[in-house]
Amino acid sequence: MEAPSTRFPVSHKKLSLNIKGNETTLVICGYDDHILVMVSQIGSMGTILHARKEEGISLLPTFNVSVIFGKRDEPMLVACARQLIEQISSSGSTRPLVLSLGLKDHSAETLRGIVASVIENRIW
Amino acid sequence: MVLEKINDLAIEDKESIMSTEIGSSSSNQRLSIEPDEDGAEITCFSEEVRDVTLHFQIIRLQKQIYAWIGCNSAKIGHIYAAAFTRPSNSVSITSILGGSSDNTGSSIARRLVMKTGLNIVLACNIPKNSPMLEADAELILVKKLISLGYTRAKPQLPPTP
Repeated sequence: MEAPSTRFPVSHKKLSLNIKGNETTLVICGYDDHILVMVSQIGSMGTILHARKEEGISLLPTFNVSVIFGKRDEPMLVACARQLIEQISSSGSTRPLVLSLGLKDHSAETLRGIVASVIENRIW
Repeated sequence: MVLEKINDLAIEDKESIMSTEIGSSSSNQRLSIEPDEDGAEITCFSEEVRDVTLHFQIIRLQKQIYAWIGCNSAKIGHIYAAAFTRPSNSVSITSILGGSSDNTGSSIARRLVMKTGLNIVLACNIPKNSPMLEADAELILVKKLISLGYTRAKPQLPPTP
């Protein structure tokens, strides 16, 4: 067993799922200032989104979700990122999310499965 | 090595992960590799360079590699995507996150693609105005990618008629 001082500073989880018949790789990494979630069915990162909670004076939180690389005409991907950042924020973490979705299908069922799996295996 | 089956969970501090400690007089590495034929292969290690600790994380997907370089901290830093692009097979690079006036890491990403032939997404938090540190980090990362067997030949241009 190694000493805590030599522990790698970024924690991560990796798992393989089967979502609607598609082999799906899920990697979740916790950096100091971001959470990276990588979901791949196509062997690459695919579309990359950035989601963060916006600071405001309102009691109700607001979130900024945007596609920073890839498909900008798939609203389900943005919805997936929004669901995850809401979950991260409600858990008390202030870290923004970098989400990569390399998917074969963009159906609501697939994205619901992804969101559920990420929340079940969260590291925040 | 026995591969993970579908729906198995791999967590960094679980005993099933293979880990190797490598010590030398000039560097101190801890190497952890999680192989997975069909999914992602994750390699994490750290190295002491010029009184600074550089952390490296490599996530290999079938057609793309994500790499993170951390300098003394675990912040994600700036993110760049780089790859060979048609029609001339030159290397194109774009900033994905951060990297406006400070584009530290963009040159690393470009040269990674040139030297390894891979489709790369690179995250790097090396401070700006540290060219020697950038060069050292790039060298270590390229050597590791080659030693892991991830490199491939540069795509050839189709023959001109």
